[in-house]
Amino acid sequence: MDVQERIKQTVTGNRVVLYMKGSAQMPQCGFSANAVQILKACGANDLVTVDVLADNDVRQGIKQYANWPTIPQLYIKGEFIGGSDILREMHESGELQKLLEA
Amino acid sequence: MVTPEQVRGYIERGIECDELRVLGDGQHFEALIVSDVFRGKTRVQRHQLVYQALGDRMREEVHALSMRTLTPEEWLDTNG
Repeated sequence: MDVQERIKQTVTGNRVVLYMKGSAQMPQCGFSANAVQILKACGANDLVTVDVLADNDVRQGIKQYANWPTIPQLYIKGEFIGGSDILREMHESGELQKLLEA
Repeated sequence: MVTPEQVRGYIERGIECDELRVLGDGQHFEALIVSDVFRGKTRVQRHQLVYQALGDRMREEVHALSMRTLTPEEWLDTNG
């Protein structure tokens, strides 16, 4: 299967998906670690993480998928929500909590 | 090594800014970007505009860029 198709299936088949470097337990990058921490603080208990370091096709493909050159990337219900800065801003404003509860 | 001044120049060439501040250590950068072009755009769209201005440099030279993207009105609000 084409990598774009694989990504689409992952983000539409799971409610909350974070593409990150490393795992939720062992993040390999400070920005990814922050993203996991924020999502946990928001009570996202159905979070699915994808380690881009484990699959180079996904690592490159995810940048095209959302036209977004950096990792981490958060998807909720198939929609691209943002990267590290946007997550932080949405957490501070309370928007992320609302989005996750909906 | 890329300097904050260079990153500033790249952004400036792509986006007309009211206010532009870039700090960084050569790999990780922080930018405050205030511009009219952000009006009516989502956060994702705003960041995409900045990434577009940086183009391939975002992949090759700049490892990480944290940014705040504000319209002039939002910038006034955050300044009280």
